[in-house]
Amino acid sequence: MPEASQSVEHEVLRRQFVFTGDAAAMIATRDSIMDFLHQHCADEHQEIDIMIALQEGLANAVLHGCRNDPSKIIRCAVDVTPQAINIIIKDPGEGFDISAATDSTDAGTNLTEHGRGICLMRGLMDEVHYRHGGSELQLQKLRTREP
Amino acid sequence: MLRIEIQSAPPVVKLLCAGRIVLGVEAETLRCMAMSRPERRVVVDLRRIYAMDAAGLGLLVELHCLAQQRAGRLTVANPSPWVRRLMALTNLKSVLQVAGSAATEVTDDDEDERQAMTA
Repeated sequence: MPEASQSVEHEVLRRQFVFTGDAAAMIATRDSIMDFLHQHCADEHQEIDIMIALQEGLANAVLHGCRNDPSKIIRCAVDVTPQAINIIIKDPGEGFDISAATDSTDAGTNLTEHGRGICLMRGLMDEVHYRHGGSELQLQKLRTREP
Repeated sequence: MLRIEIQSAPPVVKLLCAGRIVLGVEAETLRCMAMSRPERRVVVDLRRIYAMDAAGLGLLVELHCLAQQRAGRLTVANPSPWVRRLMALTNLKSVLQVAGSAATEVTDDDEDERQAMTA
């Protein structure tokens, strides 16, 4: 089960999740994060956008950052501000070549089972940034203010 | 959660999917279901799919390639707006055979599949 902690500072609600680098823990963490975010999403469409993008980021951290190794640890920080939902995923991997991972999908020539997660994240979230060579992923979804 | 209803009319089988096709149990369920069918042509109806991820899209590509190896065909039928959106984001319309959406015609050669899709 993922570990989670929570803090509140200046209208920023933050939760931290720590889980092992295997698929089962990833799925449980995805569900825990979405349970937390459910009440903060503007509508069902936004919630699904975030869920799919989150899953892609977590799955890449498990598959590429940890090689599905349960002895390794992934950390995920989720911030909810009045303006946006921010997600940061950090894995212990060495990073990767982002353009090489997306070229064939961008060209419409990807006939493999893999390589579409980054394109999905870019299409579903407002901001997608990789840092530290690809071992840290930052996702942002702007929130719609309630009338 | 994913529910799959099977409609078989050899040589075509239609898999009506409802729910989500994402990494984990749902994608594995569809994979096992599709791979176990003896029919040469497989129609995967996605009109009632509300969520799909890269694993689900990758599965469609996998099934497409497998069907080709078997001299068969996979058709993605009636993709929901969500699925169409994801396929556009990942440029899959140029890879998969998609039918039942406004932008795609079903030819006379696809009569078996057309009947299966509209049933």
